[in-house]
Amino acid sequence: METPWFAKRPVSQVRPGDHAWLAYSGAEERDSVIGPFVLEGLATNEKVVYVTDASADRLPGLGPRQLVDVHAHGRSGQLRVISRRDACLDRHGTFEPAMMLDTLAREVDAAFGQGFRAVRITTDYSWLVNEPGRSDLGPVLGCEHRVGDAVSPSTMAMAICQIDRRACRRDELTALRDAHEVLVEVNPEFDDGILKIVRTFQPDGLRVEGELDAARHTVFAEQLVQVSTRRSGVPRGGLHLDLSRLGFIDLGGLNLLAQHAVALPAGEPLVLDNLTPNVEHVIEMVGWHRLPGLTRGAERSITGGEETSR
Amino acid sequence: MSLEHRAFLYRDVDEFLAVTVPFLKSGLERDEAVVAVAREPNLSALRDVLGTAGTPILYRDSAEFYRHPVHTLRDYQAIVKKSEPRTVRALAEPVWDGWDERQTLEWVRYESLINVVFENSGARALCPYDTEALPPRVVAEARRTHPLLLAGGDSAPSEEYIDPETFGSGCDRRVRFDRPRGADYLPIDGDDLHKLRSFVGEHARRNGLAGQPARNLVTAVNEVAANALQHGTPPIGLWLWRDGSALITEVGDNGFWRPGPSPLTGFIPPDSALQRGFGLWTVRLLVDLMELRAGWDGTFVRLHVKC
Repeated sequence: METPWFAKRPVSQVRPGDHAWLAYSGAEERDSVIGPFVLEGLATNEKVVYVTDASADRLPGLGPRQLVDVHAHGRSGQLRVISRRDACLDRHGTFEPAMMLDTLAREVDAAFGQGFRAVRITTDYSWLVNEPGRSDLGPVLGCEHRVGDAVSPSTMAMAICQIDRRACRRDELTALRDAHEVLVEVNPEFDDGILKIVRTFQPDGLRVEGELDAARHTVFAEQLVQVSTRRSGVPRGGLHLDLSRLGFIDLGGLNLLAQHAVALPAGEPLVLDNLTPNVEHVIEMVGWHRLPGLTRGAERSITGGEETSR
Repeated sequence: MSLEHRAFLYRDVDEFLAVTVPFLKSGLERDEAVVAVAREPNLSALRDVLGTAGTPILYRDSAEFYRHPVHTLRDYQAIVKKSEPRTVRALAEPVWDGWDERQTLEWVRYESLINVVFENSGARALCPYDTEALPPRVVAEARRTHPLLLAGGDSAPSEEYIDPETFGSGCDRRVRFDRPRGADYLPIDGDDLHKLRSFVGEHARRNGLAGQPARNLVTAVNEVAANALQHGTPPIGLWLWRDGSALITEVGDNGFWRPGPSPLTGFIPPDSALQRGFGLWTVRLLVDLMELRAGWDGTFVRLHVKC
């Protein structure tokens, strides 16, 4: 099922008015999105509001070695780290959506006077859906819709709501996602307008979009090597290439895939997911057996950017 | 294990059955993988005699199996590979009607290529030729493309047999390579073939070629152009024109292909995409016909696609 009302946007293209959603599969994916979101804001005269119980020098998403002086930004008011208690918990420690709304409104209002051109807001609310005894998502969804209503018309505020995919059920994830208009993802590893390569985390691999030809073999081969090295030692059912938006691959590209596949450790296939008819046709014509190490993966089954494996 | 490739010249269905039935049965007795590819009504006659239930014979209608020589070679090879370690015994009756002059030449060449592709397969192939119905020229070529001959009950080596390389270069000499003055031309000067693909896609569309065949042509031309960029000498360019019901594209460069293409180039199915020759073989699969010419004035690769 295609859900065209979602915009899927690389983190560096998130802009004021975006109420964006990040469901991450692990720290690596989270860091690759939240890191740039925070750092680009701090680097460009924008205010960053992070609702978290972590301390400023251990902000989730900035990785173990933060390359920015968070304390200096804290003192200048550009970085606001607000604890959950101060942001959205009532006296009994219960989540209070209205309070979250007030907190965010206050920070955005202040930013204008402080001379910031925009406000970047983020929080990880996995804890909220993880709470013991939680009956349903009602309060969380209610909050999300109101944040959305506040952010969308804004010319200053943009938000990324983070959630750990493992924190709740699949249908709940879908409901939460549907409360957002923008799905945020990592910045592409490469994009020249013809070929775009994006790191994917679940499944582990790359999404290859557009057209892959000889002029782009080198960059593609580099990306394959990089993603394989980064994940080496952690066999997780092969390296996946999402080809759902690959319109063209040249024959040298198929050769390159096979070359890479045979170089992978034994039992680690290169899995081609969501083949477009054109690419599938060429592969079937030459025969899968002529592409050693390559296997056919998931069929096209995209639900609003959530690819599911068979 | 060597190949046994025999042309069988027959006059009527009775003679056809008198030879092919024992041929196939003998394969079953030896536990070979037995394939019968024949034209109607021969195919039905075979089924009637040999039966279909319980017989491990793979029956195929020639009309389906013989549509594109390079595809047919690939499909026979798939059967051989799949049957390993058993050897294949195939009754293989090609189709000779419905082709134009150029296509007929390609099918004749196909018969010759069988000798190379299955050289070490241990397969036995019996290729029936209907001497009453087929043009004498087709029967004459069968004597040149089959090392063994069975005619009028006599089995013997064919004295007119020509080895596939020599035969192939003879075919190449018969191909005309003229190009109309009004052909569209696109210079290929950068590394980026994106523009070339749009150009070919657009022309394919204007010539009524749509869907997968159009995309196949784009992939094929892209491959040939990429080869020219990698190995050729500028100027490199693409010509494109309409010839009757076919759309012709030709990529040419000024380079002297050394050592030049052999008459077998691109015909032999590679084992994998990692093997040399995978690209040109796939180009042959993607289009109806590919012609190569490497001469003193440059290297030219011409692709034909029916619109």
